[in-house]
Amino acid sequence: MSLTAWCQERVTVISAAAGILAVGLVFSPGGARAKDVFPFPVTTRTLDNGLRVVMVPFDSPGIATYYTIVRTGSRNEVEPGKSGFAHFFEHMMFRGTDRFSSDAFNALYRKLGSDPNAYTSDDVTVYNTLAPRDGLEQVIDIESDRFMNLKYSESDFKQESKAVLGEYNKNNSDPENRLYEKVRATAYTTHTYRHTTMGFIEDIEDMPNQYEYSREFFSRYYTPGNCVVLIVGDFDVEGTYKLIQKYYGPWKSPNNPAPVPAEPEQTAARSAQITWDNATLPYVCVSFKIPAFDARTKDTASLDLLASLLFDETSPLYQELVIRDQKVEELSVYAPFRRDPGLFMIFAKVKDPAQLDAVRERIYQTAEAAAKTPVDARRLTDVKSNVKYSFAMSLNTARAVTANLTQFIGLTGDPAMINEMYRHYDEVKPEDLMRVAGTYLTRARSTEVTLTGGGTQ
Amino acid sequence: MKNALKFAQALMAMLAIVLAMVSVPGDARTAKAGIPTVLLPIASSPLVTFRIQFRAGAADDPAGKKGLTRLTASMLTDGGTTKHSYEEMTALFYPMASSVRAVVDKDVTTFTGTTHIDNLDKFLDLFTQILLEPRFDAHDFDRLKTSQSNYLSKTLRGGNDEELGKQTLGVCMYAGHAYGSPNEGLVSNVDAITVDDVKAHYQKMFTRDNVTIGLAGGYPKNLVDRVSKSLERLPAGAPGHPARPAPHEISGLEILAVEKEGRSTAISMGYPLDVTRADPDFYALMVANSHLGEHRTMNGVLMNRMREVRGLNYGDYSYIEHFVQDGGSTFPITNIARSEQYFSIWIRPVQPQHRQFALRLALWELDRMVRDGLTQEEFDEARSFVKNYSRLWAQDQGRRLGYLMDSRFYGIDDFLGTLPAKLDALTRDQVNAAIKKHLRSDRLCVAVVTKGADAFLNDVTNNTPSPMAYDAEGIPQDVIDQDKIISVFPLNVNKTASKVVPVSEMFQ
Repeated sequence: MSLTAWCQERVTVISAAAGILAVGLVFSPGGARAKDVFPFPVTTRTLDNGLRVVMVPFDSPGIATYYTIVRTGSRNEVEPGKSGFAHFFEHMMFRGTDRFSSDAFNALYRKLGSDPNAYTSDDVTVYNTLAPRDGLEQVIDIESDRFMNLKYSESDFKQESKAVLGEYNKNNSDPENRLYEKVRATAYTTHTYRHTTMGFIEDIEDMPNQYEYSREFFSRYYTPGNCVVLIVGDFDVEGTYKLIQKYYGPWKSPNNPAPVPAEPEQTAARSAQITWDNATLPYVCVSFKIPAFDARTKDTASLDLLASLLFDETSPLYQELVIRDQKVEELSVYAPFRRDPGLFMIFAKVKDPAQLDAVRERIYQTAEAAAKTPVDARRLTDVKSNVKYSFAMSLNTARAVTANLTQFIGLTGDPAMINEMYRHYDEVKPEDLMRVAGTYLTRARSTEVTLTGGGTQ
Repeated sequence: MKNALKFAQALMAMLAIVLAMVSVPGDARTAKAGIPTVLLPIASSPLVTFRIQFRAGAADDPAGKKGLTRLTASMLTDGGTTKHSYEEMTALFYPMASSVRAVVDKDVTTFTGTTHIDNLDKFLDLFTQILLEPRFDAHDFDRLKTSQSNYLSKTLRGGNDEELGKQTLGVCMYAGHAYGSPNEGLVSNVDAITVDDVKAHYQKMFTRDNVTIGLAGGYPKNLVDRVSKSLERLPAGAPGHPARPAPHEISGLEILAVEKEGRSTAISMGYPLDVTRADPDFYALMVANSHLGEHRTMNGVLMNRMREVRGLNYGDYSYIEHFVQDGGSTFPITNIARSEQYFSIWIRPVQPQHRQFALRLALWELDRMVRDGLTQEEFDEARSFVKNYSRLWAQDQGRRLGYLMDSRFYGIDDFLGTLPAKLDALTRDQVNAAIKKHLRSDRLCVAVVTKGADAFLNDVTNNTPSPMAYDAEGIPQDVIDQDKIISVFPLNVNKTASKVVPVSEMFQ
């Protein structure tokens, strides 16, 4: 029932609200510069063709995670009519090559007892699997082969487009997905964040006719300079790097990205309403435009902490609306890190439609008050402690460590940004929070969308 | 720098968690006169996981009060304690990044939480308050009861069709049985529950004679005694679990079609299965099921033939026990063990024009496996896969502990630890014999969520042909030939046991 599960595209999410807090912070007295937060040794190398390789030994006897991060997501779907294509292409990457048909691909992983999968988000497409130590070369071989030599028929392409439509259909019966789509379509006029990763339904329905474009998409974005291979677990760094050089060395595709259009500065509030055909409690979403992720300033860390301070379950507003007055069944905040200016979204599932306006106004008032009133020092300490322990408790498997790194590699290409980012968490002061609230959480930068039920159940 | 140093040491200690988990066997033991414990000590782990399980579940809800166990568990975790209001409890847990959640299923309710060793004492104090000193405040009760009722009447009816389909299958398979309603209950029943009902249910079911303690991680030796002594203060008594009548005998295809507005059609089908992990045939069926429809993998016949070859939908899977996916992983959650299990097939939403064909195709593939069994090659591949894949099911101490507790529930040795040897000992003949004995394609409940449910029921009852058409060219001839057979595959619908129900009447 959580609102924060919305961005699940295929398997998992790299930066849902909970995920943001699943990375941590080293505290240091007096705000002095702390040492690196990420506790494991990281080796980063770049092949001659531009492919970056990030290797992190971790005690997970016999197994390692093997991720290929393509720094392309629905953000890169710049041509009209092509929304959802990054995700669609993720599906096509399982359709085989001349050397390994899709059946051979599945058979190899079946033999290894692994579970190859992938997901797409606004900014990245990530292919992930677990490799047994003694099967790592086979994984490197088959993974490099599909990135260099993917081959599929038009018939396969059309059949796979139906699976994507099926994925849209399975999501479509959830009112929260519809609300999320509408928020983005209203908040953006130009930038590709206007559509979700699934894409607009009319574009999904037209996908079977886009075979030629799919080849262009592959050549444009599936290039060594746009990808990062990330390995975490039980493997030999030097031996593995030699295998990477051997298998990925012949990959020569040049980088050829299309520019992503910039969103004009928003200067006035926007709104939209939608009606749901079936039974539902009403929802309201209030969102604000926030800057792109930047680990080199305090803005991103400040906004992230502010999301918890103002709207999570320990916040005064949550206590008021959900616990005390019981006007709201669920209140949540979702402010994912994004490569380009993103959204800081507050969702409320309201019990009585007559209370929608009052709840929406309390959200605005809370955001506006944050610009004028310093946050309680104790609460700021508690939120930082929550961040710290969330991170500590999230590093318990190779896959969890990989997930933490993947987010920062996807955003910046550089795993070291995880340390840079968390130095800023440590440095955030109440005045930083007031500044970012006053700058970004304003009505002029807001978009509000309501969803109400049309059903009688 | 004191804090920073301590924290860094804690992080480094985590390096050894996985290694320790592999080498440390689970230790399920029952103290002579105390509360049973399931222990997984991992000295190097900086985390401590608690799983406190009561043999109390939705199947224990009294008639007219379906949803009572779920609401009682929510009142414990989300209703505060005599010492602290719920707001205060939330604030106290928050700096530790910890919480206590209740997993409620038919036969067991499990309270779970994990804390960093730094915060063990504070966490334990709050956890025991939750179990021993529930507040039962009327204002919190109103909030949680309304939320549970809204889940049934709004979220389940008006939202995700796939979940609605699965819950509808439960209603169909277990009509008149203690498993026959969602764990959250029925709308009219939940609305009728009083706070006194909750207090009485807590006193009756959440007792010291009905609880098992599960601990994992780097806990100090005295923690077991501390927790045991605390839980001795639970209400006294053993509620007992009288034998239940068997689920009704299914005859033909019993269709429960839910009329609901929407773009697509969700289908789930299945029947009660007289096999659990305690039965040797379970392991043979694991192999057969992996071949037919391993959850969220490309391996299964259903996934391959329905999605990959025909593009019918996003995915198609099968199960030989109750399965709930663990978050964003592809693995099942633990601690939903049941004394009675079921076989099921989950067909993810299809376009309405393909709903009858999709149903026929799934049944046809099931029928084919029941009739022909697995070839030696299919058996070898599926067994090898399950053996290797199951290594991934317990990558953290919480999941490992969950599997150990489930093993205790079924009265078996460590399920995951003994699985490889059990799989190694299997033969193809044993698997095919288990298929013949336990699986079937002619007597199932079929839950369908669709617009135009009357027309659907009419079509399947009359065995109306359902030819398949493709937009794409180049569909292999053998697939087209097969489609012709499948399009008229007989559907033996039990007309008197089948019906259409408006979604507004579901779970009422």
